[in-house]
Amino acid sequence: MTTTFDLNDDSLVVIIGSGAGGGTLANELAQKGIKSVVLEAGKRFKMDDIENDEWKMFGKISWLDKRYVEGPARLAKDFPNLPAWIVKGVGGATVHWAGVAMRFQEHEFKMKTLNGVIPGANVLDWPVTLKEMEPYYVKAELKMGVCGTEATGMPYHRKSSHYQVVAEGAKRIGANCEQAKLAINTEVRDGRPACQVAGFCMQGCKIGAKWSTMYTEIPKAEATGNVEVRPQSMVLRIEHDKTGKVTGVLYADKDGNQQLQKARLVAVAGNSIESPRMLLNSASSLFPDGLANGSGQVGQNYMTHTTGGVYAEFEKPVHMYKSTVVPGIVKEWQNNDPSRGHVAGYELEILHLGLPFMSAFMKPGKGGWGRELADSLANYDNMAGFWICGEDMAVESNNITLHPTEKDQYGLPVPVVYKTDHINDTRMRNHAYDRSKELFDSIGALKVNNLPPYPASHNMGTNRMSEHARDGVVNRWGQSHEISNLFVSDGSQFTSSGTENPTLTIVALAIRQADYIAEQMKKQLI
Amino acid sequence: MNKNKTAVPSPNLSRRRFLARSTVAAVGAGALGSALLSPAAWAASAIGDHASTTLLRMARDVFPHDSLEDKYYAQVMSPLAEQAAKDSDLQTLLKDGVAALDEQAKKRFGKVYLEVATEADRVTILKALQDSPFFQKIKGDLMMGIYNNQELWPRFGYGGSAWEKGGYVNRGFDENDWIEGV
Ligand SMILES: Cc1cc2nc3c(=O)[nH]c(=O)nc-3n(C[C@H](O)[C@H](O)[C@H](O)COP(=O)(O)OP(=O)(O)OC[C@H]3O[C@@H](n4cnc5c(N)ncnc54)[C@H](O)[C@@H]3O)c2cc1C
Ligand code: SF4
Repeated sequence: MTTTFDLNDDSLVVIIGSGAGGGTLANELAQKGIKSVVLEAGKRFKMDDIENDEWKMFGKISWLDKRYVEGPARLAKDFPNLPAWIVKGVGGATVHWAGVAMRFQEHEFKMKTLNGVIPGANVLDWPVTLKEMEPYYVKAELKMGVCGTEATGMPYHRKSSHYQVVAEGAKRIGANCEQAKLAINTEVRDGRPACQVAGFCMQGCKIGAKWSTMYTEIPKAEATGNVEVRPQSMVLRIEHDKTGKVTGVLYADKDGNQQLQKARLVAVAGNSIESPRMLLNSASSLFPDGLANGSGQVGQNYMTHTTGGVYAEFEKPVHMYKSTVVPGIVKEWQNNDPSRGHVAGYELEILHLGLPFMSAFMKPGKGGWGRELADSLANYDNMAGFWICGEDMAVESNNITLHPTEKDQYGLPVPVVYKTDHINDTRMRNHAYDRSKELFDSIGALKVNNLPPYPASHNMGTNRMSEHARDGVVNRWGQSHEISNLFVSDGSQFTSSGTENPTLTIVALAIRQADYIAEQMKKQLI
Repeated sequence: MNKNKTAVPSPNLSRRRFLARSTVAAVGAGALGSALLSPAAWAASAIGDHASTTLLRMARDVFPHDSLEDKYYAQVMSPLAEQAAKDSDLQTLLKDGVAALDEQAKKRFGKVYLEVATEADRVTILKALQDSPFFQKIKGDLMMGIYNNQELWPRFGYGGSAWEKGGYVNRGFDENDWIEGV
């Protein structure tokens, strides 16, 4: 069913972005009979467009509009134009994602209470607790089809060779390794097939075994007749009236023409660089620093995860590419134990890269060449390894700002991302590198390679939730502290980054937010 | 490609040894010369024999895989040289790049790059030029041409696209004969 709504229809919810947050919100609202227009900057891809090919898919679906990364961290040197690796298309980064779906731990909602003031960081408690989130986590796990959970009853994947190697190493050093809870079918479920273990989850699952809003939430939402998705519609600014209520959204359509879609309510879900960028770009005489930015926190506290990679070479084959991308997770250091020399936790997520990506990420930057690298790549088949995923401290000066002069193809100021490590991140990464070496040495690694961070795919925090309007952007429902009919529905509302991959929490928050929006609309409060 | 780090033979290593042996003739020990390439392929080139041969030597120094035949490196360098015939910016980049390599080589070792005998010495020359657009262009093209070359994936033990074969669910994803069942 193709629904089209009138540009002047001001009874609609307008959702910006169709990824984890936006796609979920659209479907949740649609199921309740609430009508919305989803404006999505990227194209609509078909299953046929998905290929098992790393660089082709990177070129096809990535957000490659101009962006800069600044800061003394190595990332800014290695990838000056690519601070983040995400998708521009219907489905957003859920086309790319690996499917890891974990709940936050209780302590991660209250890092400030737990660790007090951390010098150089801008840490805050969430205005939400794990207990409140639990029923929504169950709903999210059911919706996404997360294996290994009580909610779905779907069994884990079988243990791949890659999993076996890392798990044995973990066992030998007394560390806990578990199979990953993945939003990937291990049985036919919800009209989608069971995983074939083709290993290209991050290039888009060709058969649709992995949850992605591209082929789950969006078509389900459209089928209700309550949702119109407009691809290739890049939002330029959000408009408001004299009273400060938002009234509509100006966007560039696929032909480059500007359109104004009126709205009763606007939900921003463009991922953590674009969402604050939109709010900053919407500055007006009433909101001179940008919409929802009375606290000055829009765009601040940009968090990724504390990352890095570790790939060990063995004598015998591991053939890591024959696996789901993330078959398991070493959870030993996921707790908050300052005696390690850093606060907050990290996980080692077993993760494979294909040979093409491995060649680019093993030693990124200008110096990535030579015999040592070539020798390691020659050992590709005998490699096992993981991605370090740890809690990143909120640091106010890690932020998104607008370039003072340079404009993109839409005429908008190019975003500048400043991102550098807090000392806690550095300590955590080094701890992880050391433990990883022990883990791999225990099973006879010939060589252990440390990979520096590559562009973030987990983006969080730039429109964060806070109890008080003074230190955040949105309240516990993702509703702007300042503008009652403006919502943030994506990962940018995270108060802290947690150790876990963000998507399950983004989806749980979107389900919860939809309930709140429906209730507030019914009460005529928005 | 073999790291020679282990004395324990494994099927994988013997496969690599086999590959190495079978290509030894083509590689030669540092004795790379224009004879390695069919002159015809490079006659068309806009940059001339010397530059072409230097580029090939450089290519093998940037991502050295002793068991990979010259043709795989030439497959990356030849189109570049051919394209330079039509693209004067590229032609300048390559010609000037090779000239810079030779200049560095003369400064350090008193001879052109191609005549510098050891890889270690040539690497010091390359390191000095590593940040140049010339070097980064060659490196980037090589990275795609070697590690993103489907023809070469089996040589590295990488499977590539698998959905058309039904993935690995029934093709050995859990096979591992050196780790006890975890
Ligand atoms: C390679 C990779 C692997 C990952 N693996 C995992 C994993 O295993 N587990 C996990 O939890 N997370 C994973 N993630 C992260 C996960 O994909 C993101 O956290 C999640 O998709 C973010 O949701 P979002 O709603 O914030 O943004 P997105 O899903 O990125 O959606 C944002 C959408 O908004 C659109 N948009 C932006 N600006 C505008 C504008 N101005 N106008 C209109 N539209 C706009 C974008 O095109 C995009 O489609 C991975 C990500 C990548 C890239
Ligand atoms: S491993 Fe499974 S989920 Fe991943 S791409 Fe293959 S079939 Fe899809």
